[in-house]
Amino acid sequence: MGAYNTIAFKPEHCDGCNACMTACATAKAGSADILNSRIQIVADGDSFELAMCRQCGDPKCVANCPAAALAKDAGDGVIAWDGSKCVNCLLCTVGCAFGGIVYNAAAGHVVKCDSCGGDPACVKACDRGALNYLTTANIYNEVGDLEDLFVPGLAGCQGCNTELIMRHALRRIGPDTVLATPPGCIPGMGSVGYNGLTGTKVPVFHPLLTNTASMLTGVKRHYKRQGREVNAVALAGDGGASDVGFQSLSGAAERGEQILFICVDNEGYMNTGMQRSSCTPFGAWTSTTPVGERGHGKTQDAKNMPLLMMMHNCEYVATASTAFMEDLYDKLDKAIAASKRGFAYLHIYSPCTTGWRFPSQENIEVARKAVETNFVMLWEFNPRDGLRLSRPLDDALPIDAYLEVLGKYRHLEPEQVAHIEGTVKKNAGFIRSLAEGRHPAMAQAVSGRA
Amino acid sequence: MSAVLKPKSKAIVCDGNEAAAWAVTLARVDMVAVYPITPQSSLVEYLAKFVADGKLNAEIVDVEGEHSVLSVLHGGVLAGARAYTGTCGPGLAFMFEPYLRTPGMRMPLVMSIVTRDTLTPQSVWGGHQDAMSVREVGWIQMYCETVQEVLDTTIMAYKVSEHRDVMLPVNVCHDGNYLSYGATRVELPTQEEVDAFLPPPSVNWHAALDPSRPMAVDPLTGGAGGPGPSLFVRYRKGQCSGMQHALAAIEAAHEDWARIVGRRHAPLVESYRMDDAEVALVTLGSMTGAGKDAVDEARDRGERVGLVKVKTYRPFPVQAVARALSGVKAVGVVDRSVSFGWNCGPLYQDVIAALQFAAQRPAAMSFIGGLAGADITTDHFGRVIERTQALARDGQVGETVWLNEKD
Repeated sequence: MGAYNTIAFKPEHCDGCNACMTACATAKAGSADILNSRIQIVADGDSFELAMCRQCGDPKCVANCPAAALAKDAGDGVIAWDGSKCVNCLLCTVGCAFGGIVYNAAAGHVVKCDSCGGDPACVKACDRGALNYLTTANIYNEVGDLEDLFVPGLAGCQGCNTELIMRHALRRIGPDTVLATPPGCIPGMGSVGYNGLTGTKVPVFHPLLTNTASMLTGVKRHYKRQGREVNAVALAGDGGASDVGFQSLSGAAERGEQILFICVDNEGYMNTGMQRSSCTPFGAWTSTTPVGERGHGKTQDAKNMPLLMMMHNCEYVATASTAFMEDLYDKLDKAIAASKRGFAYLHIYSPCTTGWRFPSQENIEVARKAVETNFVMLWEFNPRDGLRLSRPLDDALPIDAYLEVLGKYRHLEPEQVAHIEGTVKKNAGFIRSLAEGRHPAMAQAVSGRA
Repeated sequence: MSAVLKPKSKAIVCDGNEAAAWAVTLARVDMVAVYPITPQSSLVEYLAKFVADGKLNAEIVDVEGEHSVLSVLHGGVLAGARAYTGTCGPGLAFMFEPYLRTPGMRMPLVMSIVTRDTLTPQSVWGGHQDAMSVREVGWIQMYCETVQEVLDTTIMAYKVSEHRDVMLPVNVCHDGNYLSYGATRVELPTQEEVDAFLPPPSVNWHAALDPSRPMAVDPLTGGAGGPGPSLFVRYRKGQCSGMQHALAAIEAAHEDWARIVGRRHAPLVESYRMDDAEVALVTLGSMTGAGKDAVDEARDRGERVGLVKVKTYRPFPVQAVARALSGVKAVGVVDRSVSFGWNCGPLYQDVIAALQFAAQRPAAMSFIGGLAGADITTDHFGRVIERTQALARDGQVGETVWLNEKD
């Protein structure tokens, strides 16, 4: 069974305006009477609840129907109602726990949501962002057919975002690959294996923490000399990329080596016990920037790795987040293509449940909040078109919405929060000016060096 | 050593750095990674020029430092390339992290060390301290006496390095200043001769990064439980065996070289006028020429003096050294570097340890000279001979003698 697109509801953004129901009733019944709407927003004290068909994977309505009038479409996942077969027994409404299929007096039979063929009227009518049509399903379906090139049971922490990034990335890149995983969480969870056993189905190796891009240079250059098409790929942590590995990374980027370098940024040395790296943000607790009578977390801002790589005039540079998978896959595809021509650098933010101190089930939500507050900005760069924003930086959520969900910021004083807020605003302004082509640095990066 | 000029071979005049570049060219090296450092710089310039001129058909990678030089070659070798580079002194120090890893990965490659004294005091001149500082890392080390030896040894090093019973990296050491810049007549073997001597590369049959035969290269190995401890011992013991197999492989390579190219060098140690010698000098590298002259002068005076040149320093040819020195009364070992822990020269330490296996164990003394580019002249060697003759008479081993102390 594949994954399906779905309509998602965020009650905290809903104000009960009924616009969605009006739109649905108009689209489906030709009247504005919300009683005819297939989506029902129901007040529940101070909040709202959604009564609508979830297009379940194991639908009780379909199981209950004695006349085979309901059927789930294997292609788009929508449960369709066939009026020519329906006997009006209403057993389907008894089966549904979501109020997703109900008797409609005007129509004289049950009605339910059909997702408007993939372009739902309700979502278009909601201008508060309470309803979203999530369309990442096609990615999962497409990628689901590709082989997972890591073995099952890598020993990542529960809820690890990095493991998701690894599996998604390598599936897409494919088996004609040599993979470098410098010391850190990625080999630490077993991708290069232990005592003669491997965790990866493609050639994989431990470079030194310092020389990932250089070793890949040698691999790639020799295969090019032999006329063989082999992807040279790094899955490196931020420590191996931004600190001790930066020299070799910078050298390979300057030379335009045909390498895809993916930096999985969990903002520190999480594998070795959560020490600070130069990608650790200001104020963050780490085991080497501890909190005590005098210590209040890291006292410097994070090094902006993707911008530094952009200034190398790489063939492609982008930032990505697992909370925005369509965007991530789009960038992954572009990065893979760019790495056949030159150096491609993909910087993917990877919230760490263990090191950042938040419940493991909230990982994607943390990643999403980082982006929605502009703490993390999604953009891409190539030397021909310059920098392009992947989503607008306007209307960012207040920074508190991100900081308050992470244990590593629990100790922050108001002035530290103000500093972070200032840095985020400054960074957003800078990125925006680059995107608009106003910054002189942009002109330099686009035109290349003399 | 006898030079047999064959009609096919070509004589050129060049220095040691150019000779090494010719060797790399003739050995059909696939990949060269370079970063300049005195006194190696002209070597990489020659390589770049040879590539630019179409003489050397190799992938040349100009990287941002020595650490990446060797790291690039690691990747190249794991993909199947015959690889080469050269460095020295601070460059070797900066390279140390991948350098340390190379022999354990059983990676055959050749790297010239254009020997240079180490910092500090700040110095850019010759001395063996750089190469000696890495003598226990697991690389094979060979020291050259002449520019011709630089060329021949560098090509032979590939045959040793890629020998299936060896599979270890080789440092060909040639002295900064004296050999790097000293130009002499050199006979260039023909490509046909070198092709007959050296088979195509086979460097990654055991450990490869190749999608057609996927494997994990260098997973975590060891620990206190499971298969870890015995597996780790197997790797370490295998590395030591490879090192010992190198002794025979080096002798065989020299034999093949003499047969095909017509030039014979001593593979492990060279004994010079050692018949009936009572006193022996032990030397390493380019100083040997002055040492031999001093021995000739002493022989002219009727003194029974000989010289043993150590050509292969790692693995240390224990039996060959013991055999060569067995029977003399005293030995004077001349080093161009220092063992800080023992207040003597490192070659001296090796020699006195090897003498444990000599049938008759002579007394031995340490002499240190030629640091940071200083010359070791026949006069210096004359003093070494005098002091060693005194040792032969009274058996009193004195303090280490610093030859250039009063220059």
